[in-house]
Amino acid sequence: MVWDNTFWAFLALVGVIVPLSQLGGRVKPIRALGTLLLLAGIVAGISVAGVCFWQGTPVTLRLPSVAAFPLSLTIDRLGAFFLLLICSVSLPVGIFSMSYVAHHYEAGKARWMWALLSLFILSMSVVVTASTGFAFLAGWELMTLVSAGLILVEGDSEDRIHNVSIYLLMMHAGAAAVVAAFFLYWPYAHGLEFASIRSASANLPAGPRTVLFLLAFVGFGTKAGIIPFHLWLPRAHPIAPSPISALMSGVMLKTAVYGFVRFGFDFLRGGPWWSGYLVLAAGAVSGLLGVLYAIGEHDLKRLLAYHSVENIGIIYLGLGSSLLFLANGAPQWAALALIAALLHTLNHAYFKSLLFLGAGAISHSTHTLDLEEHGGLLRRMPVTGMAFLVGCCSIVGLPLFNGFVSEWLTFRSFLHGSALSATAARIVLPLMIGVLALIGGLAAACFVKVYGVAFLGRPRSVEAERAGEVPPTMRIGMVLLALNCILLGVFPLLVLSSLARLVQVLVPGSTAPEEIGSISRVIPWVAVTLLGTLAVMLAARRTRRSAATWACGLPALTSRMQYTSTAFSKPIRSVFAFVYKPDRRVELLPADQPYFPASISYRSVRTTSFEKLLYRPAVDAIVAVAYQVRRLQTGNIQVYLLYIFLTLVSLLVYLRFLR
Amino acid sequence: MTLALGVFQVLFLIVGAPLTRGIIARIKARLQRRRGASIWRPYADLGKLFRKEDLAPPASSPVFRLAPRLLFAVALAAAAFVPVLQPSALLASLGDFVLMVYLLALGRFFLALGAMDGGSAFGGMGASRDALISTLAEAPFLLGLTAVSISARNPSIAGIVGWALRQNFFDISAVHILAFTALSMVVLAESGRMPVDNPATHLELTMIHEAMTLEYSGPSLALLEWASAVKLNVMLALLISLFGPWGMATNLAPAALGIALGAYLVKMLLLMVVLAVIESSVAKLRMYLVPDFLGVATALSVLAVIFTMIARR
Amino acid sequence: MGLAEIAAGKVVSTSAVFLMLTIVLLAVARRISTSILLFSLQSAIITAQVAGTAYLEHSTEAWVVAGLVFAVKVLGIPYAFFWLVKGLKSPRDVKASTTPAQSVFVVVAMICVSYAAVRSYTFGIRVPEDALAAAVSLILTGAFLMVSRRKALMQMLGLLVLENGIFLAALTTTFGMPLIIEMGILFDVLIGLLLMGIFTFRIRDTFEHLDVSRLRRLRG
Repeated sequence: MVWDNTFWAFLALVGVIVPLSQLGGRVKPIRALGTLLLLAGIVAGISVAGVCFWQGTPVTLRLPSVAAFPLSLTIDRLGAFFLLLICSVSLPVGIFSMSYVAHHYEAGKARWMWALLSLFILSMSVVVTASTGFAFLAGWELMTLVSAGLILVEGDSEDRIHNVSIYLLMMHAGAAAVVAAFFLYWPYAHGLEFASIRSASANLPAGPRTVLFLLAFVGFGTKAGIIPFHLWLPRAHPIAPSPISALMSGVMLKTAVYGFVRFGFDFLRGGPWWSGYLVLAAGAVSGLLGVLYAIGEHDLKRLLAYHSVENIGIIYLGLGSSLLFLANGAPQWAALALIAALLHTLNHAYFKSLLFLGAGAISHSTHTLDLEEHGGLLRRMPVTGMAFLVGCCSIVGLPLFNGFVSEWLTFRSFLHGSALSATAARIVLPLMIGVLALIGGLAAACFVKVYGVAFLGRPRSVEAERAGEVPPTMRIGMVLLALNCILLGVFPLLVLSSLARLVQVLVPGSTAPEEIGSISRVIPWVAVTLLGTLAVMLAARRTRRSAATWACGLPALTSRMQYTSTAFSKPIRSVFAFVYKPDRRVELLPADQPYFPASISYRSVRTTSFEKLLYRPAVDAIVAVAYQVRRLQTGNIQVYLLYIFLTLVSLLVYLRFLR
Repeated sequence: MTLALGVFQVLFLIVGAPLTRGIIARIKARLQRRRGASIWRPYADLGKLFRKEDLAPPASSPVFRLAPRLLFAVALAAAAFVPVLQPSALLASLGDFVLMVYLLALGRFFLALGAMDGGSAFGGMGASRDALISTLAEAPFLLGLTAVSISARNPSIAGIVGWALRQNFFDISAVHILAFTALSMVVLAESGRMPVDNPATHLELTMIHEAMTLEYSGPSLALLEWASAVKLNVMLALLISLFGPWGMATNLAPAALGIALGAYLVKMLLLMVVLAVIESSVAKLRMYLVPDFLGVATALSVLAVIFTMIARR
Repeated sequence: MGLAEIAAGKVVSTSAVFLMLTIVLLAVARRISTSILLFSLQSAIITAQVAGTAYLEHSTEAWVVAGLVFAVKVLGIPYAFFWLVKGLKSPRDVKASTTPAQSVFVVVAMICVSYAAVRSYTFGIRVPEDALAAAVSLILTGAFLMVSRRKALMQMLGLLVLENGIFLAALTTTFGMPLIIEMGILFDVLIGLLLMGIFTFRIRDTFEHLDVSRLRRLRG
């Protein structure tokens, strides 16, 4: 009962009280109180989710039905895991927003920002705790609308509206697939309640199963941002305010993963035999192309958005191998792969939101997100810099940080693939180790570039030189997430044991994999070795003198002589030029002397092939079909009457043949 | 006792690393008909550097100071993974090859960051080139070790070495030949030897690893040099233990340990001679040809993994 | 089984892997002299295989074949090639139309294809799978070399590698080819080489280059 009430309190606070207080409150203290209530509500959410996840006690709330659709929320272990993810990321983001919103928005917009943020958290929580189809879809739609609203609160220039339109369009295309998937169950399950869907799925024939799986894959894949449905990600995430980008990238994408896991593993118990290969291919392509596109970027937020595509790809690699193991009758290893994918979901939520908050802090201090204008920020913003470094190490997957544990588990699940009996699976799964290794290597290169160019070296612009540390609440938010990353990196068992129990329900016939124990045993030893050696060496204090770098005889080194972000990524971009297909133009403005032009300009544009090869033809085809269909609309009354007449005749003929 | 032996193995690898470098340099010199420096020269260099001042550019941050020390700590931790005299090491049964590869990646990450912190063009250049090489070397490294691990049906390094120890020496398997070739190429790339990188170059525009250490001096530089020597030593020891572990001691009798030590030194000497011959006979690859070199390594390691399914051995 | 017999058996079965290594190296070779040396190495490995088979089957015919292969393919033909290269004074580059990285992956794919093809054939028959797959890979590589290298000399070399593959395939499936057939094939190859040698000089003298892709200009 206690926890039921706590959950009610969370929903009420986040869904009703806070938005009302923000939008309706005339006096500033009421709005400040509203902000605090939001944080309190999120804490309540964390506690409910924590109890349900770690102890396994389910919480159910019944709400009045809407028409024929029942509405109820249940927190089972899977939902609790995702609710915990949502709330534990929202808390630092909320704390961060306290100063961010105050500094960047005037009072009117700030109110809308807080209200919509609150509703955003509500919608995501409804999605992961829904236990009927209607509640799920209501939350899904609310998520899209509220996030679009949040982007528009920031500003409504034409460029923005264009990007938001693409975002809404693609989200609704995906939502259409999800709605179709749910309604395919209508004849089998009463009221689309999850319990009846689950029991109905056990008896579904193979045809509807395949269709359902494909619909779920496309629908949730669009929201998750796997290639080729990723087009909206680099358009929508960079233009949102930084805390909202953090939530969108860190949390909203995960609700899509939740949906896919719910459909694929809980309802359908694994798809057709080729489902694993499909998801593996999607994951591999998203991972590789996502990180390759990210390397070429120097807008910090767009770079991070592409990295989200990459990490969703890694999650899908884990999900794909799990489906493959399920289809080949190896539930034990399917459980391991699913644990790896779910853990990476949690880890990504933490380090990606940390990185986006860091980007927000950087833009707060330097007023620009262009990497080429940054430099030397670590000395000027030490706390932000350290937190961002933790985020970078985590996303690269270095040991002692949380990203490593989930990538390690994914590697180990691939290794088990060599013991299967199907030849194709036996070859594909170990080769995915190479794919994941390449993705990891590229991510490392990219984040050396990001951190090295932004935080290290000398400032490349006046703003970077004058940058100062951000306000305390922004720092607290980032440090909280950084601590989470380190904690999960050194003590992964905190989450892994309950995750194992969660997965045992989703994948029947499996026990807790032994890899969980082995990684939890070895990481602390590695930590002890590394930190011990470091401590010994750092303790040996020697006098250090500061001496200027040798400038090869020039008076001094200027900041322009450092490597820029574009320069750093040039070797990798050259090697992978077949992906980028750059269009390069160099313009020389001649002057009087033949060898000294007045100016040289260099322009390099990358094509994103998907727009050209996939979307353009698809859009053109749809428009062509639409033109053809328009022919039916002649505007002639007699033709319309003829349509009615033809329908009547065909109905009569159909009835005749029914007998 | 095995604990003591494990600690001895780690110290042996770390303390013996400059000697490895010295011997390779001496063999190269002899091949080039020079007399060459003494094989103990690297120790003298390290001692000289430790006594000097530690300078840092004024614009640098704590990362600059952290990087060499973290790299050395990582090299030490990596040394704990490799069996030398007995088919186990401190971390060889707890940890597996993925952890070891990613530990080395941690070191390389911070080395590149330290290079960027110098604020000079050469640091960025070294970091950028090193990023390309380590990116492309990661896949063949992991795939080659995967192929060997699949053959041994054991993911821990101790398990793989134990399995290899039980194999017949004349039962050469295709998987191991391919994996050995691929991993040797990766070792050349990761430790910055020819034909990927010239460790003795003085021209900045041809440097990759040295460009990253250009700003360091005194104890920091000593730690960096020592760490890269340890890395080379550890990788050579890894190759020996994975592909030719015969002679390792299975009990703690002094005779067995003596034989193991002798066998290790002979195999190490053989590898050093081969390395020196390769370094003296090939020219350094232009940087944009290194992806082709690593592409061959990747293809061979992919073949090795595929062969684990096909070959019946 | 004596040690020599074990060694002979090992040679026959493990040399397949070394042949695949030479195939991969041929794909990345940039100079004609490297390719010729690799061909010579390949022929040496095949000679060892023939010698091993000869020892196991105790057939003097096979020993003669081994000697012939060694004399002609390991020593004779490479020497003739080097003499050609020196006489033609053409650039030493191989003029490949694919980058080394692409060639390597094509070659790896071909090795997998040959294994897959050989698998279905050797199911239940006492044929060394590795050697037969290596033979098929050699055939495919020879064809690939002829297709992707634009120098006339490399086309000859591709043909020779292909012939190596055919020889090895015959060796593994019949356990020692009859001497007559092998002599016949060798003579064919020698005549073909002689003709190609003459023609290369004529091509070079008439057109001043040996790039076969430029033959398209003759279309008119």
